[in-house]
Amino acid sequence: MSKQRVTRRQFLNYTLTGVGGFMAAGMLMPMVRFAVDPVLKHNPAGDFIVTDKKISDITNEPVRVDFSFEQQDAWYTAEVTNTAWVYKDDKGEIVALSPVCKHLGCTVDWNTDKANPEHFFCPCHNGLYTKDGTNVPGTPPSAPLDVYPYKEVDGYLALGKAAPRKEA
Amino acid sequence: MKWVAKDIEVYLGAKEYVDTVVLPLLPVSFADDIKQTASMTEFITLLSGQLERQFKGRLLMLPGFSYIKTESEEKLLETVNHWGAEFVKQGFKHVFFVTSDSDWKAREDKLDGSLIWLPFLPLEHMDKNYLNSILEDQVKQMISLFIKKWQDRDSQ
Ligand code: FES
Repeated sequence: MSKQRVTRRQFLNYTLTGVGGFMAAGMLMPMVRFAVDPVLKHNPAGDFIVTDKKISDITNEPVRVDFSFEQQDAWYTAEVTNTAWVYKDDKGEIVALSPVCKHLGCTVDWNTDKANPEHFFCPCHNGLYTKDGTNVPGTPPSAPLDVYPYKEVDGYLALGKAAPRKEA
Repeated sequence: MKWVAKDIEVYLGAKEYVDTVVLPLLPVSFADDIKQTASMTEFITLLSGQLERQFKGRLLMLPGFSYIKTESEEKLLETVNHWGAEFVKQGFKHVFFVTSDSDWKAREDKLDGSLIWLPFLPLEHMDKNYLNSILEDQVKQMISLFIKKWQDRDSQ
């Protein structure tokens, strides 16, 4: 007489806890996944973004190239627009400079200061940079403009993430 | 610079370079002009963002001042001028108020600071590319306005 009978109550108890457990797991899993998702997903930054500028259209006169992409910042996705000043140097190499002034972050413009033609000019505190992005001593900026790495994709210019220039 | 902790830290270390402060004036109404006031607020917020990006190192962009349209003109002027007085006390040389609300246009001469009034665009009906080019235009106009005001002041 060792065999215990499972009563109806016990049976119901076991089954309901079991089903309830499954249901709870079913609800919780997506929540947990949602919570840790941004951590698991790899960050797309660092990838190159294709602009609408044709490589063959780039001359030795700097032009503004705007490009937008979705930036994912943990849970928050935003469309950001970045700008680059793009031209070909004397050797025919493409140069893509960030327009963000190294002093306090205003946006620099090409050739807008009458006293200093052929320079990048920052209207905020008269910061000056030569065409290759080198800061002119005696003006507030203390470093050259950041440089975008670039690639060619089907004849179009693709830009990466701007970084400080390597050589001093 | 924006009103966020990171930017304010930079501001505190570089106060002498930040001589301009901008306060957006954002109307709120629940009457017939409810949609318009929403559009105005949306438009000015977007534009201020662009402006801030352009002149990050020289201007402090404050969070907008929102007010209810039923408020009396007297009281609104008092409040906004109180802000203005505080800016001057803090050493800002250029004080700008930006808005789409045309009521401010009528009170412009009673305002302690420069008013930049721009007619709002109904953003919700616009094609994105078209919108961008229009916005760019507006921002360019604002940029030259700022530069002009700065130059006028510097040459005084
Ligand atoms: S932010 Fe460009 S010179 Fe100061």
